[in-house]
Amino acid sequence: MKKRTLRKTEPYMWIAPSIVLMAIFIVIPIFSVFRTAFSEVSKSGLIKGFNGVDNFVKVLSNPDFALVLKNTLVWTIFVVVLSTVLGFILALLLNNNFRGRKIARAIVVFPWATTLVVQASIWTFIINTDFGTLNTLLRTLGIIEQNINWTPTPEAWFAWEIACGIFVTIPFVCFTALSGLQGIDSSYYEAATVDGANYWQKLFHITIPLVKPSLTVATVLNIIYVFNSFPIIWTMTKGAPAHKTDTLVTYLYTLAFYNGKRGEAAAVSVIGFLILLACASVYMVSTLKKGDE
Amino acid sequence: MSLNHKSNLKQIILKMLLYFVVFFICVFILYPYFSMFVTALKSRDEIFNPNGTILPINALWSNFTDIWTLAPMGRYMLNSLLIAGGSTIIAMVCGIPAAYALARMKFKGHTVFLGFIIVSQMFAPVVLLVGIYRVLSDLHLSDSIMGLVFINAAFNQAFTIWLLRGTFLSISEEMEQAAKIDGCNRIQSMFKVLLPMAAPGIVTTLIFIFINAWNEYTVALCLISTDVFKPITVGVNIFNGYNMIQWQYLFAASLFATLPVVFLFMSIEKNLTSGLTAGGVKG
Repeated sequence: MKKRTLRKTEPYMWIAPSIVLMAIFIVIPIFSVFRTAFSEVSKSGLIKGFNGVDNFVKVLSNPDFALVLKNTLVWTIFVVVLSTVLGFILALLLNNNFRGRKIARAIVVFPWATTLVVQASIWTFIINTDFGTLNTLLRTLGIIEQNINWTPTPEAWFAWEIACGIFVTIPFVCFTALSGLQGIDSSYYEAATVDGANYWQKLFHITIPLVKPSLTVATVLNIIYVFNSFPIIWTMTKGAPAHKTDTLVTYLYTLAFYNGKRGEAAAVSVIGFLILLACASVYMVSTLKKGDE
Repeated sequence: MSLNHKSNLKQIILKMLLYFVVFFICVFILYPYFSMFVTALKSRDEIFNPNGTILPINALWSNFTDIWTLAPMGRYMLNSLLIAGGSTIIAMVCGIPAAYALARMKFKGHTVFLGFIIVSQMFAPVVLLVGIYRVLSDLHLSDSIMGLVFINAAFNQAFTIWLLRGTFLSISEEMEQAAKIDGCNRIQSMFKVLLPMAAPGIVTTLIFIFINAWNEYTVALCLISTDVFKPITVGVNIFNGYNMIQWQYLFAASLFATLPVVFLFMSIEKNLTSGLTAGGVKG
């Protein structure tokens, strides 16, 4: 009898350390954020009691918020879609047999392994109008004579931030696609060649369907990471000017730690989480449906 | 014969095109690092010259040594090492048994636990900063290296368990069962049979978490206010003042922060990506 209870409780002892760690440092903060979102909070961060949806009303009635939300969607969609397409193309290239392939793979690792804050500061320097290395390069090559202002408007800054986001996201997509590509049995291609299929037919009827599972995992993870990505925008513009380059995470950081509005910042967190949860449930429902078929 | 000749020519042209495109992409990827390096070698005057050159006219190698006296670089690097090393140890100590239970045992809540791991990925530390700040203050861990160790370990649990569970599942249970017949208990068979066989996957996971924690910026930026506790990712900003950015020092320091982990990453890249997708497909 004793042995039986032990066997039943044993698995929980194995997962207990992990549960405790995540409970203290992830679950409690989640509850704390939700509690803060529905509370009146003093400037120093003291919770003064329940105040219903006041914080949400304040956030949603602020005209800046619509702009921030739009920026977040533009940022996420552009970075995820373009890095997926470009990363997949790069994977197709690297999947060929050629001399120096190992070196090329090692070079593609660079942007993935570099901390985002360094990546963002070097790009800020590269595109600087007065002394940036891009202008120096183009002048030396004789392509331009006068230094070009690469960031004349806030929209231009935002576009560069998106470009930087794409640059750092490509390697992850590329390597996940590559590992999918390398799992494809070459006999499929041989059979298709015998049947007279051309390169594009093989790409769309063999390669893409078979790489799709790996690419889907990468895309779902990327949506979450890019949506929540903070360092690039924070380093390059801090959301300025006038929230034109702000996304939800930089906006909530400014609210919480610069403007002393922790309650509203927590409300923004909750809204961001709900958006991600909606996206994730669409994905889960669609995969569950596929499983039923 | 002539047909063969023609397709050979086509092959050669395609191959040359491939080389050209891959070469161009590699140059493009390395360009920021090249820029960082040549800028780190320039003097202030050379950097701010609007008609500057690509390569430094006078290479100031001393910039690479000056940063160690101008800022507590050694201390920043040590802090990063402690944060990354500490969180890797805690993440593994908690993650290995959990991954083992998920791969080898059946229990109630098995699916719920896996589901929770996936959902926890949706909460990036930055979204929870308000809450994290509060919890760490209550535990007297804010503005401390220990606080960052726990946060990094916790937020890397999902990846740790995901990767390790995939590794364990890919290893057949037969050997462990044989060890049990020989009189080993669960823990002995895990240490003597499973873990040695899973070593490549464990090393990959370990290095991946180490790099993640080394590169972490947001939580450290927000929680650490004492200069001597800052990791290198936040510390390099000492050269990034409001009115005057000392680009040459910023980039010299950034290279020290970047290159070690880049080379570390190269060593695990292949195992890591196959592990990530394998875990996903097996779900």
